[in-house]
Amino acid sequence: MRRICALILLISALIPGAALAHASEGGFVLLLPTGLYAAGGVTVVVLTVLLVALLPGRQSLALFRPLPLWRAAPRVRAGWISLLVLAILAWAVIQGWVGEQDPTHNPLPLIVWTGGWVILLLIQAILGDVWRALNPWTGLWWRLGRPAPLRYPAALGHWPAVVGLLALAGFLLADIAPAAPGRLAWVVALYWALQMLGLCLFGLPWLLRAEAITVMMRAYVGLSLLGRSRGRRAIGLSGWRRMAQQTPPPAGQAVFILLMLAIGSFDGVNETFWWFARIGMNPLEFTGRSAVVWQSLGGLALACLLLVAVFAATTRAGLWLLQSTLPPGRVIRLLVPSILPIALGYHLAHYLPVLLVEGQYLALMLNDPMETGVNLLGLAGAHVTTGFFNTQATVRVIWLTQAGAVVFGHVIAILMAHGLALRLFETPRKAALSQIPLAIFMVLYTIFGLWLLASPRGV
Amino acid sequence: MTKSTDHPVSTSRRTALKTLGAVGAAATLPLWSRYAQAQTSEPIRIGFQKHATGIGAAYGRWYERTTDAAVAKINAEGGINGRMVELVTEDDGTDPKRGAEVLEKFANQSKCDVAFGTLYSHVVIGSAPRAAELKLPYFVVSEGHHVASGILNRWTVQPGITDVKSQVQAMAPFVSKTLGKKVTMIYPDFAFGYDHRDNFSAAMKAQGGEVLEMIAVPPTETSFTKYFPKIPRDTEVLYHVMVGPAVLTFVKELGEFFGPNRPELFGFIDSLEAVDMASPGLEFLEGTYFWEGMPRYLQPDTPDYVKTYRDAVGIDANGASVNDAKDVSTAAHMFGCWETLHVIKAGMEASGYVGPKDRQKLIEAVEAMSVMPAGLAHPQGGKLFNGKTHQVFGPQYISQVENGKLVVKHTAAITDTLYADEVDYTAQSF
Repeated sequence: MRRICALILLISALIPGAALAHASEGGFVLLLPTGLYAAGGVTVVVLTVLLVALLPGRQSLALFRPLPLWRAAPRVRAGWISLLVLAILAWAVIQGWVGEQDPTHNPLPLIVWTGGWVILLLIQAILGDVWRALNPWTGLWWRLGRPAPLRYPAALGHWPAVVGLLALAGFLLADIAPAAPGRLAWVVALYWALQMLGLCLFGLPWLLRAEAITVMMRAYVGLSLLGRSRGRRAIGLSGWRRMAQQTPPPAGQAVFILLMLAIGSFDGVNETFWWFARIGMNPLEFTGRSAVVWQSLGGLALACLLLVAVFAATTRAGLWLLQSTLPPGRVIRLLVPSILPIALGYHLAHYLPVLLVEGQYLALMLNDPMETGVNLLGLAGAHVTTGFFNTQATVRVIWLTQAGAVVFGHVIAILMAHGLALRLFETPRKAALSQIPLAIFMVLYTIFGLWLLASPRGV
Repeated sequence: MTKSTDHPVSTSRRTALKTLGAVGAAATLPLWSRYAQAQTSEPIRIGFQKHATGIGAAYGRWYERTTDAAVAKINAEGGINGRMVELVTEDDGTDPKRGAEVLEKFANQSKCDVAFGTLYSHVVIGSAPRAAELKLPYFVVSEGHHVASGILNRWTVQPGITDVKSQVQAMAPFVSKTLGKKVTMIYPDFAFGYDHRDNFSAAMKAQGGEVLEMIAVPPTETSFTKYFPKIPRDTEVLYHVMVGPAVLTFVKELGEFFGPNRPELFGFIDSLEAVDMASPGLEFLEGTYFWEGMPRYLQPDTPDYVKTYRDAVGIDANGASVNDAKDVSTAAHMFGCWETLHVIKAGMEASGYVGPKDRQKLIEAVEAMSVMPAGLAHPQGGKLFNGKTHQVFGPQYISQVENGKLVVKHTAAITDTLYADEVDYTAQSF
């Protein structure tokens, strides 16, 4: 008990400073009472922690029981959708090479970054596994119909996907022009070809373990509201699908999930005045991405290392509190999926403004994809607007939506972590005690997330 | 998004002919014979160096809209030398290194005749040396003093927008005669702020005024209350040029500090470009004065050619998009794209421009320009081009906030904006 008190004292000393340090600061965002909003959000998360600790027995697990709906039809292999996506992607890549080089008009960056990275990921994480049908590899692979000549080396685990994820993140965050159509076309074409080669050589295990986008999409589908349960379509609280899986992810996949959050977090940090001050840049006179390539890569690496280390330390601290002899590695792996909803919350919060603006460019492109004058969506002559960033009322709605996503992500994370801990420890009390350091970490991460949203930005 | 059918969205190659059909057929039938010739000729390719991403993206969006409108208008009137204009847009990421790469693509890959468009000074300064190496005429719409200061080269010209030095110095006569002689300046502590500090303090001195205090604020500052006590009590005019996300906080805190007993306030609209003046928190600015490159709000005496320009770009009486009243334009700067494209057209026509071998002749034709009369080609006002310094000079507007709108109170004459030449580019070799 003394250990618990010491830990709580130590952490509580850190919280108020962190909560208030950047309470009221960004144009209209800087004028909003974000400190107050953030306090409300943090309170919700803290209350969740307390509630979960006090809930009798395994009631919190009941939250993740899905509601069965109608009987599900057997899965069909819809390879033609994947082929269609491949055809669209190939067309977009060619447009990337030969089309207009303005990333707000060229189909390739709009499809890849806005349509894929932002929108498709959200659909996957909220509605269910669309990637299974939409990925641009399996359709062609099935059509080729050849058995894989090689066996995927088990020792590789998910580590090739970890490398892939880091490479994608490095490109997105540090490359001087990740949206430049010609440049992106090469990256997409080479990435597609490399993964297609892997798939042909090793079969599906390659996609499931070595291809970063598939690994990420499959991780996020664990959060979708819709799914299958016992032969029926089912709907449930975000996270129910992941909670239905009994086995912890292997080490590579666990690290992959942690890196998803680390990358998403750094993607917000690198825009703040705070970060600009760290790297000695004037945010009001930012000289462009070419001046900060190494700083961005360094920050990204640091964020990844830091998050993995802190998560491992909090889990170990929980075991230390209980003087448990459980193997820490297994416990860490088991608890890692609870990070997923936080990563999704950050994704939604960070990309909501992007979605609101780039989504319009995407819609205008889809309205007349070949520039032949067709008016598929009735948007001919429309102009992209950013008027919603110009009024306090709309900025407030956007900010609260972002903050809501961050807070909701943390609430689900705490519920999931508690449910997962119940699988490890014989009594709910022990499970709750083991969760104290992780819960503190999540409260602090909520504060960090809301601080990020409220911070003034340079880009 | 709402629908609008009267403004062409894009003027890329594939839409050039569509635009021609839509605008031309409706408006100017007698010119059909010229279109026929135009359609058979190679287009004039103008490389548009756009801030599509990066810190300048908000300006880039409106620069594009104005540019598209100008190209559509020029094409509807028969193009340049009877040839259609085709825009080749590249994103410079508001990054000097990419800016230079973009110029190279314009010259070597997309076979552009000229390059055009950049706003941010560091991109212009990073790109201009490459323009000289490539011998590519580079028309910037940057407002910076870097062109006239002599640090660039013969291939870089700024004929469509005035520079910050002339803007700032032209404010001093009005400020000293109308608002007060004792001025305190508050500005961000980097190059943008220093331009104001140095040029305005010198101009005030010349007017017999006095700058009591110069308060530099670090660019990452988000609260300003600790700087306000440094404002001397006998200040008659507070000159402010804060920029960045904390501007609204700056205004709010300034209001809280002074209450109703404020000195006269004079600012540059750069602080609030694309921000609705009727936003909550900006009430304190009621009655204060701003420099405007071009009036954002439709004025009672607005000439017809300005109305035509505004309609073509698609902005309403408040300077906001006709598609969304909350989408306020960058009115004080974007006219520069429209005017520059008209200068390119005039230069190409004067020099009989046919292709890249005539690029030098084009620069010489622009250098030979002098008086540019106000009208649809120069809606911001009549201008005077200085061929030696490659910089244009024009009227400057001083507006007062009345009922949340900017009302023009004074138009500084071109003579107030002139200063001694700091370079003679015409003496440099090509």
